[in-house]
Amino acid sequence: MAIADQTLHELVSLERGEVDRSIYSDPDIYEQEMKEIFGRSWLFLCHETQIPKRGDFVEAPMGRDNVLVVRQRDGSIKALLNTCAHRGNAVCRADEGNAKNFMCTYHGWTYDIAGNLVGVPGQKELYHDELDMSAHGLRGVAQLDTYKGFVFATSDPSAPPLAEFLGRTGRAGLDMIACQGDMEVIPGVQKFVIPCNWKFAVDNLFDWYHPQITHLSAMSLDMFANQAMPESKRVDIDGVATQEGAQLRLPGGPAGGDNVDELVFVDIFGHALAGPTRDTYVGVTGSDSWRDSEQAREALGPVARRAAGHTNIFPTLWINPAGGQISLRVPRGPFETEIWWYSFVPREAPPEHRALVLAMANHVFGPAGLLEQEDGENWNQSTMTTTGLASRRIPHVLKMNLGRGKVVNDVDSMDPPYIECGINEHGQLWTYAAWAQWMSGCSWDELRERTIPPAVL
Amino acid sequence: MTVDTSTRAEAALLADALRQFEVERFYTKEAALLDAHDYEQWVQLFSDDTHYFMPIRRTRLRRELDKEFTQPGEMAYFDESKEFLLTRVAKITSGLAWAEDPPSRTRHIITNVRVVEDRGDELEVHSNFLLYRTRLKSEETTWIGSRRDLLRRTEGSFLIARRHILLEQTLLLSQNLSNFF
Ligand code: FES
Ligand SMILES: [Fe+2]
Repeated sequence: MAIADQTLHELVSLERGEVDRSIYSDPDIYEQEMKEIFGRSWLFLCHETQIPKRGDFVEAPMGRDNVLVVRQRDGSIKALLNTCAHRGNAVCRADEGNAKNFMCTYHGWTYDIAGNLVGVPGQKELYHDELDMSAHGLRGVAQLDTYKGFVFATSDPSAPPLAEFLGRTGRAGLDMIACQGDMEVIPGVQKFVIPCNWKFAVDNLFDWYHPQITHLSAMSLDMFANQAMPESKRVDIDGVATQEGAQLRLPGGPAGGDNVDELVFVDIFGHALAGPTRDTYVGVTGSDSWRDSEQAREALGPVARRAAGHTNIFPTLWINPAGGQISLRVPRGPFETEIWWYSFVPREAPPEHRALVLAMANHVFGPAGLLEQEDGENWNQSTMTTTGLASRRIPHVLKMNLGRGKVVNDVDSMDPPYIECGINEHGQLWTYAAWAQWMSGCSWDELRERTIPPAVL
Repeated sequence: MTVDTSTRAEAALLADALRQFEVERFYTKEAALLDAHDYEQWVQLFSDDTHYFMPIRRTRLRRELDKEFTQPGEMAYFDESKEFLLTRVAKITSGLAWAEDPPSRTRHIITNVRVVEDRGDELEVHSNFLLYRTRLKSEETTWIGSRRDLLRRTEGSFLIARRHILLEQTLLLSQNLSNFF
């Protein structure tokens, strides 16, 4: 049953900074997300460097569909639904590899790497040459396009072109990886599963309020010492105490008071960025000199070059420029989300730099990451409490800096619409507000119109 | 003659059995330290030049099985020097690591211990493990796989000079890896 427009607007309030808990566990809402969001949006499939040679392929999720992203003879890329035209069996069962053909292991229908049906057992004897092979190839996605090596596809033939969909914020996010050099994916995508709703995993990427507590054990390590805040700038933590009553010492975390050290982008289709500026945060690899390069100056405006925070390309692609990593949140049901981490390194990087990137990629995020170890249980518990009859009536609170965020939106600038402030919840709230618009099933034009940010958030 | 041969065979078997006993005793002690959350003692079992590595595994066709696991220098789940292992131990014992507070209940079962090469001062040892974990009310995880260790002989015991952990999973079916293997 479709959730009506009216109801959707009651579920997310931009004015009050509140979100209704039912959006995380209601099965009807999940179904509608599959159709209205994952069935229409451009979705990240892979990076071109994952499939350099003819016949190289990876499997990627698009909602409940799986597609094979395959490098073609002419160097182009195709995304084919991984389902046989005969009776639907998956024609490929490997996560990745190199193929000359895809032969279905059910009855043997065989497709070339472009998806053409090239072999049918018994075409002559059993089908009497009456089966129109040209009509039964593997189906492609509605549209596929790339931006600076990042491959995306959509199931909606009426979706706007990729670059237009990405908007200034999405393009800036991808450029923050692309501008770091001639970037390639390091072999090995980390994949793990968290029993949580996908929106918690997205909400959290904008959340610079949680590291000081959630990741306190990691922030206390020497390894993250360069992220400690000078004592004078730290937030007031009076009243924060453990169950034994111990006051916590917070070494990391956000600056408080009047320290305007954060930049937020809020943009069309729900794309957003949030996080510190480069003056307050360079990440654990310790260098962001790429932001001053010729290439970065051409691709990014002056505001974006200062933004060191995390981008989300709606709905589920997180870009973390400081670590040279991107992370996909893959919904597998209202209570289950897979996390896929891709790590990049410049092809020309000297061995020491490569080793440092690798060490950070393996130790910050991912299932064993010194930070990310702590995230899953929070999201899991937050998801499960949305099912309690009494618990789910309590709205979620996203009121930080609410009503104080002045949006600077110069449509002639290459910089995205932005807010300068301290730690805030604008990125999350903007994502939920856009989510409600997507869910209404409105046209692409209406969706773009309704997701232009107001002057104040 | 025949007596002599069989005595020599017996002596070799006995040496094998003793070595097997030494290795298994070492692993039993190691597992007990982990299950008692005594990570400070546990990490001392590793040599300073150790490499503790759990690669990423991908489902690949049989003809491409040589590319199933990522290699050192590529992405992994664990890729630890001794220093990183010490960092992890410092974190878990800080009292601030919420992923292990309340602590997971774990049980390490180590079986099929096989010395595949004995170079005198160093042994190549393969073993199978089952790591069972429960957390909170109903979270339950079972990890099964094999360990490929390089054990270095040291006064009456061993140091782990290399551990490669091969898990029987591609997509990790757990929300994190906050325990040691
Ligand atoms: S289902 Fe693929 S050949 Fe029949
Ligand atoms: Fe986190």
